[in-house]
Amino acid sequence: MTRGIAALVMFAVVASGASIAAHHSFAAQYDRDKPITLKGTITRIEWANPHIYFYVDVADKGETTHWAIEGGAPSTLYRAGWRKDSAKVGESVTVDGFLAKDGSKLVNMQVALLADGRKLFVGTQTFSPKGH
Amino acid sequence: MRAIQRLGRIGTAFGIVFVFTISARAQSAGTPDLTGFWINQYTPDLSVVLGKQPPFTEFGAERWRTVDTAKDPSAICLPVGPSRGFTAPFPFLLVQNDKMISIMFEYQSIWRAFYMDGRKHPDDLADYPYFMGHSLGHWEGDTLVVDTQGIDERSWLDTAGHEHSAKLKLTERFKKTGPDTMQWTVTYDDPVYFTRPWSIERTFTRGKPGDRVLPYTCNENNLDVEHLRPNQPNLNYKHVPEPPQAKKPPR
Repeated sequence: MTRGIAALVMFAVVASGASIAAHHSFAAQYDRDKPITLKGTITRIEWANPHIYFYVDVADKGETTHWAIEGGAPSTLYRAGWRKDSAKVGESVTVDGFLAKDGSKLVNMQVALLADGRKLFVGTQTFSPKGH
Repeated sequence: MRAIQRLGRIGTAFGIVFVFTISARAQSAGTPDLTGFWINQYTPDLSVVLGKQPPFTEFGAERWRTVDTAKDPSAICLPVGPSRGFTAPFPFLLVQNDKMISIMFEYQSIWRAFYMDGRKHPDDLADYPYFMGHSLGHWEGDTLVVDTQGIDERSWLDTAGHEHSAKLKLTERFKKTGPDTMQWTVTYDDPVYFTRPWSIERTFTRGKPGDRVLPYTCNENNLDVEHLRPNQPNLNYKHVPEPPQAKKPPR
């Protein structure tokens, strides 16, 4: 039974922001040496496979830049309690993640926080023994 | 009268033996029911479980040293192969009857069929491989043993980039270790990439009643491809061949 719980815990841990590693190697797309924090407004949410995306407009010194944020797999996030409407277009969000290697305005999300402090699209409770 | 009683006793004894025989036969024919919703133990790099790199041939070692993970077949949504199906962070359904056991993976919405009807691998399997391979299953006591061949060599064994050839033969053993746990032991036998067969063990955990497989349609919105860049993490790998196995002394 202990092994079973250990397996669940391991699954929950790796499912948090690491699901991209199932689809392909993280390092083939993102740079671990280039962490970034973005604060902006959600403009679109794509709840689709193999990874969800949402898009953020970041205003800085009168200029607005458009960023794509990649998250986990929809099924993983669903089991963690997230739904496609967990965030709304127009909401403010702060994203911590890593920059894409190709220099595009693309970030792999590690943590995202809404304006009220709620975390967003973080898969930390996948397959909780307590159910979902 | 005494003869009749004796016959009756013999008949009763025979009946008891008969019942025991039937019961024993039923038990030996009875196999564990593995049907259900099972959760993988995520294993992106098989060598971590093994505690070292597998016993590469010179060719296998050079492939590992130079592998480019941007060329992961899964990144372009090709089926992940039998090894990654059971090691990805996604669950699967197992449905079982006497003639076939089917595995339905959430990951990529792909399947495996374990034919249990005593058939052989097709003669032309090498000419018509499938990414998930062709699988024959049988029971050894309470353990399901599955022989898989004809696995498309474009599939990888794990996300880390361990590859295989068309000669890969997988032997998998599925054994329930409790009401909600199942041990999976897989042996990788590929003389092109490895000098000898090697094995790992993982544990599947049963999901909760009502758990369901969710959509994973890989090509639905696969935006990653255009952002992948060459990534060769093993260029400093130094191959150290295993010492030759000690031969058994002649009897």
